[in-house]
Formats: sequence, structure tokens, C-alpha cells
Amino acid sequence: MISLDPAKCSGCSRCQVHCAFFHSGAVGRSSARIKVVKDEAVGLDFPVVCQQCRERYCTKCPENAISVGSLGEIVVSNTLCTACGTCAILCPIGAIELHAEQAYVCDLCGGDPRCVKACTLDALRFDPQAKEVVRLAGFKKGSRGLGPEQKRLRFALARCAGIRRDWVSERSG
Amino acid sequence: MRHEYGYGGRIARVDLSSGEVRCETSDRDYLLQTIGGRGLNSARLYDELRREVDPLSAENLLLIGVGPLTGSMLTASAYMTISGKSPLTGILGDSAAGGFFGAELKQAGYDQVVISGCAPQPCYLFISDGHIELRDAAHLWGKDIWEATAGIRGELGDNAVQVAAIGPAGENLVKYATIACNNSRMCGRTGMGCLFGSKRLKAVAVRGSGRVTTFDPPRFLQLCEELDRRIVTHPEYERRRDLGSTLLMKALNGLGILPTRHFQEGVCEYVDRISGERLASQFKVKNKSCFNCNIHCSRYYLTADAESEGPEFETLCSYSSRIGNDDLKFTLKMNAFLNRMGMDSLSSGETIGWAMECVQRGLLTPQDLGGLDLRWGNTEAVEKLLHLIIRREGIGDLFAEGTRSLARHFGRGTEEYALHVKGLDIICGDPRGIKAFGLTYAIASRGADHLRAEPFFELTERYDEAEKRWGIREIADRLSDTGKAVLVEHTERQALLTDCLTLCKNIGLSMDVLDFEFAADLLQAGTGLKFTADRVNAALRGIIDRDRLMNIDFGVDASQDTLPRRFTHEPLTEGGSKGQVVPVKRMVQEYYAVKGWDETGKPRGLEAQSPGPGAKEKKAGA
Repeated sequence: MISLDPAKCSGCSRCQVHCAFFHSGAVGRSSARIKVVKDEAVGLDFPVVCQQCRERYCTKCPENAISVGSLGEIVVSNTLCTACGTCAILCPIGAIELHAEQAYVCDLCGGDPRCVKACTLDALRFDPQAKEVVRLAGFKKGSRGLGPEQKRLRFALARCAGIRRDWVSERSG
Repeated sequence: MRHEYGYGGRIARVDLSSGEVRCETSDRDYLLQTIGGRGLNSARLYDELRREVDPLSAENLLLIGVGPLTGSMLTASAYMTISGKSPLTGILGDSAAGGFFGAELKQAGYDQVVISGCAPQPCYLFISDGHIELRDAAHLWGKDIWEATAGIRGELGDNAVQVAAIGPAGENLVKYATIACNNSRMCGRTGMGCLFGSKRLKAVAVRGSGRVTTFDPPRFLQLCEELDRRIVTHPEYERRRDLGSTLLMKALNGLGILPTRHFQEGVCEYVDRISGERLASQFKVKNKSCFNCNIHCSRYYLTADAESEGPEFETLCSYSSRIGNDDLKFTLKMNAFLNRMGMDSLSSGETIGWAMECVQRGLLTPQDLGGLDLRWGNTEAVEKLLHLIIRREGIGDLFAEGTRSLARHFGRGTEEYALHVKGLDIICGDPRGIKAFGLTYAIASRGADHLRAEPFFELTERYDEAEKRWGIREIADRLSDTGKAVLVEHTERQALLTDCLTLCKNIGLSMDVLDFEFAADLLQAGTGLKFTADRVNAALRGIIDRDRLMNIDFGVDASQDTLPRRFTHEPLTEGGSKGQVVPVKRMVQEYYAVKGWDETGKPRGLEAQSPGPGAKEKKAGA
């Protein structure tokens, strides 16, 4: 899985840019599979990407279009997918999202994630062995009715709570 | 509409008076001649702005421009430029900011937004792809920038909306009010925030779901990777990443050009207490970055009573050595405060520095200044004064007009200490020890500004390279004035190119990693249009000439292409630039000659080609 050290992330979004370019030859947030969430008022930057979670919420696809690949990545069959949006509703952290009738989710770039390569601050790490280690049940609760951007923000804020506490307690002067 | 590569392909026109909104297709020939960003904005002003309009009137134009490669794979292609007739100076006004707004506007499919008129009620503009809407901002009026940005995102239900907003300073028409992109990346100079306020425009919010495509993606990627490589292998890379522009505190101090007590000295005895190094070690918690940049030169900091992104060098210096303050925590508090209120740290800092020097010299008394005791470094009085300026209360109302106007009001010799060119307050870098910068301040088309040319080369001591490029070794010597007109003419084009591409000046200029040939290759691969180095240069020269003609229409003449007396007649008394002044008159004449302008600073033979306002109308519908 791809993991993040939010203490190192500057929010530059190179991960998002390189992801979109690698997959589509063009650049835009909507076609990236990793999306940087920012809350400037508290200095938070957090790229949200599929965690290959234990629960695998999105695989409960009514069309059986979603399966898990050999790397633990989510695989979407474009022939089976009807763009119903169930996966986006089921994912509690906004890591899979529809744009122009296509589901966008991290595919780990076949084992060589471009986002990790693009990060020049060493904030993103890829561990091919780590699969289904993250539990998202805690985020599932209360995610109903939220859009993908809102779910990403909620996830990012929760994941940054620790670093924020450190900053506040260690601030000087 | 045909598919565009690189460019957004559309121009949005919004009349705030009538609420009318329309979109037109970008004209390809126009783009070839103006490239984008600042160049596109300048051309639009040249073609469509009636010169005599009052900057605060509904007739003034407010332009937001992005470039052909903004929001693309190109590193740091993050900027956007806001332009109009400046409320502060009365001449060409524009200011660029990084962050994420520019990329989002491009992804929404626009090259430029042209805003005219004046809204009957406070409003904000919301652009979401093809949807453009004026929304009520009555509930946001009076709110600071951070509250307004959060408020807009909240009511649109989307935290990823990019917001360029003004604060109370802009609403109250402080002449040097700023516009903040997402709280902290500032369009700081020439009072573009005041222009927002005069049009009752609280903010522009943008969301784009489109993609920035390129004509030849593999080639474009190759060029972007080459630029990335040049950046990360640059000898200054680590230092720029760790300190950003704040490295200049100690660097300029070492050169003897760190503005101290309002440029009376160029060496600050307590620089270690206010340096970028101290900020980084004691208050910085992590790096921050603009869109798609691999330097990450900005920072986030927390102190006991403030937190924010920033400050950049100009704010750090303006609120420390320039006003005799040695308390870094105060500087950091003011940075956050000015970010929230939307006021330029440079211009506000100059009004304060001017007042403090006038008090020191006995030209002004506390009675003149509403009872405020503006001794050097009196932070309590500074903070009180800033509140007054933002609300335009008491003495603050005069200060809100800018230093030039303020000194004219008081007279009695105080004008000599108002350090501005053409009404724009001088930046933090004493020109006496950096001669090409001195020339830049004198001739820059928006007033005393370094970013119009940023002739950083003169600080590099690369003598052989100077010989190779221009045949003049002295260009690499910061204290020499020889050849500096040639350097400035060159880097002025590079700076404009950087602004047209909406790149960061650190990358486009200071690090010297982008030349005209490389930029033309990027433009060709990115847009598919026939950009060549020659065509790019012809476009850049044309824009600079027309900016000059426009400024002449606004009343600029050769007598204003100069520097405040301090820099031409008072040698620095200690440090690395001891004994230096700027022979500005001679340098300006040399610059005119290099430009091919006449001795009054007027471009030759352009009027016939570019007839000015009205001429564009025919083309606009094409």
C-alpha cells in the first residue's frame, strides 16, 4: 500500500499531477487517482489514495465490475462498469470516484507507483507487502451522504490530528 | 469550439454592473503575440482600457490571466496574474500569485477572466467549468480572508474550491490591499485587492474538472523532466528548499544591502535574531509548496500567538530590520494578520518605515501621527497603526493612501524619505549594492519592483559566463554599473516570459534554468502553436513596448524613471556595499538605448501597429 507521512508533505500535488499524466497523458484533479486534500487554516496537506483496506467496501459492486488484483490493488472492469456510482458511495474515504462515467481508483501503476516517484520530500512510501492492513470501519460510520471531497477531508483531518497535536504542544515562544 | 492544447481555450467576460456573463473563444493569433498570463493581461489592457478612467471607477478593468502551460506537468506552472489600472500608482498595475488558483482556472477551461463594472451589492464570482455565477456576498463582507475562504467552501460544499479573496483592507479601499489565494499566496502589489473592493467583488472561486492536455505529451514530459533535473541538481537547491526566500535575510546582510531602519543602513546588527535560519529552526513545522513544484520553498509555522504559511523574505524584512524591530515573533504575528486582513506587507511596511524615519529626524511628532509613538521597533504602535489603516480610521486613513500620497500630505521635507518609484513602494533590497536591481526599480513598468527583471545574474560572480553571453564581464559584478542595461533588457524579457508561462521567478529567473530556446520548445510541445525563440522574443519585446506606451498615456515620463535621492546621493556607510550609490541617470539612458527607445523613454514606431483601445473590438468576436 501507499502510505504518507503528513509531517513531510508540502501539499505540492506532484503525486496527483504525475498520477493523472501517467494514466491519461493530461493533468487534472478529476482524472487523478490520488487527490491532495488541503486545509490551509491549520497547515494540513494530505494526499488521499486507496488504502487497499481490509473491508474492501467498493468491491460490493452490483455489476461485479470490481475485483482485487495480485498487488492488492482495486481493478475496475470498464466493460462491466455501468457508472452507477455505488463504489464511490461505499468507499468511506473518497478514494474511488466517478468522473465522466469512469471510476478512478489507484491501480498501484502495476507495482511502480508514479506518485511515490514524483514525491521529492519522501512523504509517500510504497510497501508492496502491506495489503489489507488498514481498517476503515471507523470512517464508514457517518460517511453516508457525504461526497468524495467531504469524505477525503474528513479522513485527512483525522489522520493529521496527531501531528497537529504535536505542533501545538511543541510550539515555542 | 476546437480542442486546445495547453490553453484553456476560453475567455470569460463578466460585467458586474449588469450581471451579464459571456464566454468567447480565445483568439490563437492573439495568443501567439501575447503568450498568456501577464502578457495576455497587458495586451488586453492596452487594447481595451480607456486610459483616463479613475482606477476605482466601474470602468476600470480587472483581469485574471493564466498561461498556456499553467496547471500542466511543467514544474511550478502555478501562477496567475491579476491586472488593472493600479489604485495605488495610477499606472499599469498587476500582481501574480502562486498556490493552486491558476491551475484550477485552467482546468476549468479558461485563459483569462475579464471583469468590468461594479456590482450593486457585495458579491463573489463562482466559476465551475462552463458554469459562471455571481453569488451574494453580503454575509461575507467584513469577514477576514480566512473566514471568507472557509465560508465560500462551506456553502459550496466543496473544500477543493480554489478561492482568491480580499479581506477588510480591500473592502475599505486601502490602496495597497492584496488578494489572497487560499489564505496565503498573495497578489500583493499595486493594490489589486483595492480594485476588487471598488467593484464590490469579495472573491473569485473556481473549480475545474477538466484536464490540461498537451500537443506532444511524450516530448513535453521529456522537457519537464529535464527542467526537474536542472532544478534538483542546482547548487542552491537544498538551501532554497530549506529556507526559500528567507535565505535572503542573511545573504543580503552579508552584501551590506539588507534594508535596516528604513534603508539608513545596509547591515543589521541583530540579523541572527530575525533570519530565515532562526525561523526555520525555531518556528517552522514543515515545508509548503505551490502547485506542482519540486522546491517546496514555502513554510508553515506556529508561534504562541499566530500560525500561517509564510512569511516570504519581503514580509520578513519589512516587519523586522526595515522598521527596526528585532522580535521575530512579532513579525510572524504580523504576517498572519496581514494575510487575514489582505494588506501588502511591503507598502504598509514602507509607510511605517517612512514615518519612523521622519520621527527620528524630527520632521513628524506623535501629534502628527494620532498620538502614536513611532519609534524604531515600537511594535505596539505598529500594530495599532495597522488596525487604523485597515479600517481607515484616524491617521490610518492617510496611511491607507500609500507613502507617496502620505508624504505629499505632510510635506515639510518628508517627501525625500518616501522611498517609492512611480508611487510603488520600494522592495527590500538596497539598490546601492546591486546596480542592475537599481536600474530595474527605476524602469519597471509597475514602479519600484525587482520582479520585472530580477537580474539575479549580477550576484553570481560568473564572470566567464557573462563574457560568453554578453561579452561584458562586469555584468557578473554587482557593484559595477557597466553593462547592466544589457543585462536588465535581457532579464526583463525573461521575467515577462516567466509571467506569461505563469512560472515561479525562482525557477524562471533566479536559478537560471530556463532560456528562450527551452521555453519555445516547451511552448511548441505544449500548445502545438509555432512558437520559436524568435517569435517568443518578438512577442515579449512588443508587450514591454506597449506597456511603456500605456504608461506614457497614464502620465509616466523619463523624469520618473529614477530612484529616491537616498540611493543616488547617499553612499552606504558600512558593510559589503560601503561607499556605493546608483548612477541611475546614466544607466536609464543606456537602457533606453538598448531598448531602441528615444531619449525620453518612448518606444519608436509602435503606435501605428497597435492603435490602442477600440481596435480590439473587431477582433474580439473572431
